[in-house]
Parts: sequence; structure tokens; C-alpha cells
Amino acid sequence: MKQAKKIWLTAGVCAAMFALAWFAWRLPFFEFSEEYSAEQVGSFLSLKYLKNLLPLILILLLSSLGILICIGVRKRIIRKDPAFGRFFEARTGSGGKKVPGQRKLGFMTVRWAAMLGASFLMIFGGTALNLRFAEVSLPIFSCPVNTEQMTESSCYYLAHLNDLFELPLKDILLFFGTTIGFALLLGRVICGFLCPMGLLQDVVHGIRQKARVEGVAMTDKMYAALTPVKWMMVFLLLGLSFLGGNFCNFCPLVAVSPILAGIQTSLYFSGFFMIFALIGSFFKRRFFCLICPLGVLLGLLHRITPFRIKKDCTACTECGACYEACPMGIKQIYTEREKTDVTDMNCILCGECIRKCPEDNALAMTFAGKKIYTASRKQVMSGYHAEGRKQDRRRGGSV
Amino acid sequence: MNTQTVSPREQRQKDRFISKASQTAAKYLRRMEELSGAPESMVPFFRVLRDIYVDGKDVSREDGVKTVGTYCVMAPHELIYAAGAIPVKLCSGSYTAFSIGDDLAPRDACPLVKAVAGFQQIGVMPLYDNCALMVLPITCDCKKKLAGYLAERCEVCTLQIPVSKEDEDIEQYVRELYQFLGVLEETTGNRVTYDSLADAMKKTGYAQFELSRFLRLKKSLPYLLRGTHIMAMMNAASYMPADEWGRQLHLVNRELEQRISRNETVTRRQLPRILLTGSPIIFPNIKIPLLIEEMCGILAADETCMGERGMSDPVVPVDQSFDGLMRSLAIRATRPCSCPTFADNRQRIFRLKQMIRDYQIEGVIYHVLRGCLVYDFEYRQIEEALGELGIPVIRLESDYNEEDVEQLRIRIEAFIELIKLKKPPEVRRTERDYYG
Repeated sequence: MKQAKKIWLTAGVCAAMFALAWFAWRLPFFEFSEEYSAEQVGSFLSLKYLKNLLPLILILLLSSLGILICIGVRKRIIRKDPAFGRFFEARTGSGGKKVPGQRKLGFMTVRWAAMLGASFLMIFGGTALNLRFAEVSLPIFSCPVNTEQMTESSCYYLAHLNDLFELPLKDILLFFGTTIGFALLLGRVICGFLCPMGLLQDVVHGIRQKARVEGVAMTDKMYAALTPVKWMMVFLLLGLSFLGGNFCNFCPLVAVSPILAGIQTSLYFSGFFMIFALIGSFFKRRFFCLICPLGVLLGLLHRITPFRIKKDCTACTECGACYEACPMGIKQIYTEREKTDVTDMNCILCGECIRKCPEDNALAMTFAGKKIYTASRKQVMSGYHAEGRKQDRRRGGSV
Repeated sequence: MNTQTVSPREQRQKDRFISKASQTAAKYLRRMEELSGAPESMVPFFRVLRDIYVDGKDVSREDGVKTVGTYCVMAPHELIYAAGAIPVKLCSGSYTAFSIGDDLAPRDACPLVKAVAGFQQIGVMPLYDNCALMVLPITCDCKKKLAGYLAERCEVCTLQIPVSKEDEDIEQYVRELYQFLGVLEETTGNRVTYDSLADAMKKTGYAQFELSRFLRLKKSLPYLLRGTHIMAMMNAASYMPADEWGRQLHLVNRELEQRISRNETVTRRQLPRILLTGSPIIFPNIKIPLLIEEMCGILAADETCMGERGMSDPVVPVDQSFDGLMRSLAIRATRPCSCPTFADNRQRIFRLKQMIRDYQIEGVIYHVLRGCLVYDFEYRQIEEALGELGIPVIRLESDYNEEDVEQLRIRIEAFIELIKLKKPPEVRRTERDYYG
């Protein structure tokens, strides 16, 4: 009986997957059409803008549905587990109280401001502020189908290298000059501070934190399993155009910035991929960044970029808080015991490790050798300051 | 055991035990209080030790609140608070209980385990007898067999400590903690919810916050206070609810801040600064810290699990879900822990190096309780590492009795003299840099 149930369940899941795959293949969310420029949209909040927004809304709805299904399945698993089952209510319910966290204002405020600002500029910069630097190519995953964005995004020509070499020499030089220039200057700071896709993923992660839904705690083996996927993505990005394919057809980013900018876009596999990326990053912070091909290309320059993560190996107690906080699962940041420079190819310089590091000066972010953000116990425990002040007041009243 | 009628002979034995044990405890308390430089706000900590060891009281708590005894630092106290009970650390330093436990455990078993077994056997300490549950992380063979011995007499829950700290080991320990939480729920009859766990973490987190402030103050001015007094404070934490301990420490911190502003220290002389590491120092077995400071050294820092190390690493919750909090507790209990029970414990050397740098240490005393193999094993590695830094180190082996005091005194005195000889005779207040 149990066996039969399992078989039916498996069959059901397979059928659902097939249905979804068929859906993705047969029903492109939207097809490219003649009237796709933003000028025709007129203003935001017009009927046409809302109509063009429809695929994004659809994607968000489907992602929420997927997330809810995942949570449901998860609950079922927890309930059945011999060790975890009795804590079913504690684990799935959310209470009103919270563990004192950390001071809100600080490095992370800067990062969020940068992400919000950059995403706004990359999406609406052209339309809203009339800022257009078409000659500049920024290696960032903000879809260049959105012709209204502030700068050009390098990903289009990287995905269509055959087209690139048909351009005039000046444009080719400009493309390489600006792309490599920004990559050298900023490196993966672009991922942590500027990328709209990163913002989207962090927002989704933030929603999970607020709802106190538990995530997927990835182990080093799971991270290692994603490495081949990551390199395959790189190969697809750079090589697919030579094989007659188009990376943009399944690049999930097509589903963000052009749609928000009000441009009618073709979504073939992209929207489908985007749903998975959103569900993934809900349960695992920055899930897409783990397989992002552009991030790999930026990461290749990690040895010479001026932004670095430095470690004082003596101060480190190997408490692993940094590894736990790291969205990219960089383990050597806490196991490293010799090198002072722990900048890794996968590091997006988001600073989460430094924020969670409880040892004074154990980790620091530097720009050209100058420390810009340093770990401290004081900062990690800053949420308790209020408690301490309360003590002072109580004492002061009684004495 | 307590329900049986006690024969007059047994009663006499118990009375003798009580008087002997409280005399020893009172003596060491007096010696600690006589040491100069204790902040006034430290009195509550001494009072707690006196209540427990001299007056034989139980931990002060509201009616109906159960106590759960813990051994080793790997059993998260947060979980016990979350289940509505109060944790007490039961690792013992009693010489009197040791002499009884000597007959219960093999000759080479460590005195700590013998003392605990002794207390359990004689049954006069309310601290031990009133425990609803005892939690034993299996950190060494002695603790493992102690778990078996205690299980005949009270409720026992063991925690299997992983040998290494790989990701899989952490996952396994998280599971272990969930099972422990289940046992706790059954013992106390309370349900653990997100709110109760968050409250519990707030309690212990506040204590750790005050401790981190305390350590920062201590680092900022050498000779601010004596290590023996810090030991007493840390030992008192075993028998006080975490939030209460934090509140008391808050007062100490305020007093220390005043001391710093007046540049007031416990001594005007440049006493040799000594770090104590190795096997735990538990009241009333406080003879080594006392000897160091009575022989004109300063116990500038300690790296022992009943001292600063046991509490100083904070819990850093990354994920705010219930499971995320549990994970942060499991990680905190294992990864930063420099207990020699872990196969690869090189992180302890780095911790010592950092402490030498932070506290300007001039000599290290490596304390080994007789029979404590895991700590003894690591002596060689640490001696080598400290030798490279040019920091003198000695290994002191001691037992839970007063017979070796004179021998320890001579060795500690010689060690302190050796450090003094290495120092320039001119007394100056400068920071020494060992990495230059």
C-alpha cells in the first residue's frame, strides 16, 4: 500500500513536471512584437504598461505558488520525521518575539541603497531620468532588451560574440574597454551592490526571513554539485550563439528589467527559468548567483580587483558564522589559517561574513588596501545595547 | 536513594562530609576575598558560591521551576531555558566529594568525574539531588562512563559530540539537539515554541553581551583586575540564571569603567602576566589561580572551559526561523569550541596566540588534571607553538587534594621568577610586541 502510494506520488510529480515543461515550451509568455519600444508605452501606470507587466505578475504568482507547494511538502516531511516531528508546530508557526539582532544602520544600509539605486537606474534610468550612456557596457545581468536602461549591458554581446565582431572596430574597443575596465575596478562588487537580479533575490530572501520560514541549509557537497552547472552556464553564455542558439531565450533576467520598464518582450524559456530562480533564492539566498555565468566571468579577475576580503587568521576562532552567513557558501573563509587574503572567485563582496563575524578585526573588506568595513564583537552584539541601557535606567531609578 | 532510611552511621558520614566540604569551600572563598582588588560589585558572585558550597543551598528559583544539570560547554543552555527550566553546570571541583568518588571510579579516572560521582553517591548536595535531568555531552571516556553511572541514579540525556566539524557533523549535531529538546520537553512538561526559544536566546545573549563588554574593558587596561576573581565570577555563572548573571556583570562593568577613567589598577607593579590554559578550573579547586596571584603573578587571562572560553563565543543566528536558531546553537556549540575532544584542534593554538597578543601574556601555565588525557595530549603541540613565540610554558599536573599545593607553589614561584628575570629590571608601563 505504502509502495503504491509512493509510485503514484512519483508519477504525479513527473506528470506535473512534464506539464510544466510543456507549458514552458508551448506557451511562450509573450512573443516579440513590433511595438516594443518604451516610448509608445507613454507613462507608467497606463493601461498598456500594466498589460506589459502581465507576464511578470504571472511569473510572481507562479513562483509564489511553487514556494507554497515547497513549504507544504516540507511541512509534511517534518511532520513525519521521528526527531523533528514533535517540533512541527514550533518549526512551522512563527512567534511574535525575536532574538535581538544587530544595529540596522551601517554597511548593509549602504549596500541596500546601492542595490536599489543601481537597479532603478538600470531599469528606469533612460525613461525616467533621461540618463543614457549607450557606449558604456557594464558587465551586469540587467537585460539589454530594455533599450531604455542607463548603460549597455555586456551580457548581450557576450552571448552573441559572433555579432560583436561584425561591429565597427571603435564599438568593439569600447565594448571591451568598458567591460573589462568595470570588471577590473569593481569585480564582483557589481554582483553584491548593483545587480538588479541580486536585489530581487535579496528581497525574496528578506521576505522569507520576515515570515520565518526555514531555508535550505546547503552543505559543502551541495555547493560542489552546483559547480558543473555553473560552468555549463558559462559555456552556454559564450558558446551558444556559435551553435545557432540564443542564450537570451532562457536567460531568466529577460523577465525583470525589460518588463518593469514597460517593454513587451519575448519570454520563451526565460519566464519558466525565472520561476525556478525565484523559488530557489527564496529557500537559499542568492541561489541564482551560484550558477550565474556572468558572475563567473567577473570572478575570474578576483585576484587583481581592488575590493578584497582580508582575514586575520589569528583572531579567527573558526566559529563558522561567516560560512553560515555567506550566500555563496565559501567555506575557506573560516577554514583558512595562513593567507590573509580570502577573496574568492565566488565572493560577491556582499559583506555578510563581516557583519556576522563576532571576532574583532578577524575579517575586513578593503578597497585598495584601505579598510572600509571591519568585523567587531561590538557590532555583532549591538542588538543588546538597548537591554544594557534598560539595566542602567532600572538601577538609576532604584538607587 | 533518598527515600531509604538513613542509618546513624551513614548520617554521621554525611555530617562529616558536609562539614568538611563546606570548610574547604569557605577557606578558598576567604582566600579569594582576601586577594586585593576585587570590585565591590563582585560580592553577589561570592555570595552565590557561598550559598551553594558553604551553606548547601540550591539554585535560587521560583517554585515549580526545575533545574537541569549540564556538563561541558556543548549542551546549549538556551534550550534548557526555552523548555522552562534552569541550567546548572555540575562539573565539580570538590576535594571532599573527590575522596568519596575515588572509591567509585578507577584510579586513573579524572578527579572531576570522581568528584561528581562522589556527590551523587553521598547525596547531600541539593544542587545535584534536585536535578530533574542531567545532560552529558560525551566529550571523553570518563564522561561516557560517568553517564552510565549517573543513569542508575537519575534521569540522564547524553549528547553525542562529533569528532570533527565538517558540515555533515553539524547536521548530525542539529539532529542531536532536536532530540535533546524532546527529552527536555518531556522532563519539564512545557512545550518549546519559537517565542520561548527566542526569549531564552535573548537571556543568554544578554549575558554574553555583558561578558563581551567585560572582556573589552579588561583588554583596554592591563592589571584592571585579578584573574582569580574573574574565575570566581565565571564559576558563579554555573549557579545563576543567565539574565541575572548578566545584570550583575553589568554592575561590575560600570565599576570597571569608573576604574578605567580613574586609571585605577589592582597593582602599581609590573607583575608577570600569566595565561592559564588546559583542564577546567572549578571552584573550590581554585588553588592554581590563587597560587599564581599569591606568588605575585597576574592571571591575565584563561583559556579553560569553566572560565572565559565557555561563554565568550556568541551565538550568531543567521536565519531567523526556528530551525535557523537551532542551527546557530549547534554551530556555536561545536565550531568555535577549542575542546580537545575534537580530533583536529589546531584552532586552540590560534586562540592562545590571539590571547597572548590581546592580553600581553608573558608566560603560560598549562594545567592538566591527573587523568585528563585529551588535554595532556595537546600539551606537546602547544609547547611547540609557544616556543616559536618565545613564551615560556610549564605543565602543571594537579589532583583534587591539598597534598600537592606546596609542590605547585614552588613550581609556580620558580616560573614567575623566570619571567621576571627575562624582563628588563626597569619597571615601565609599555606594551610588548611579540610579533615584531
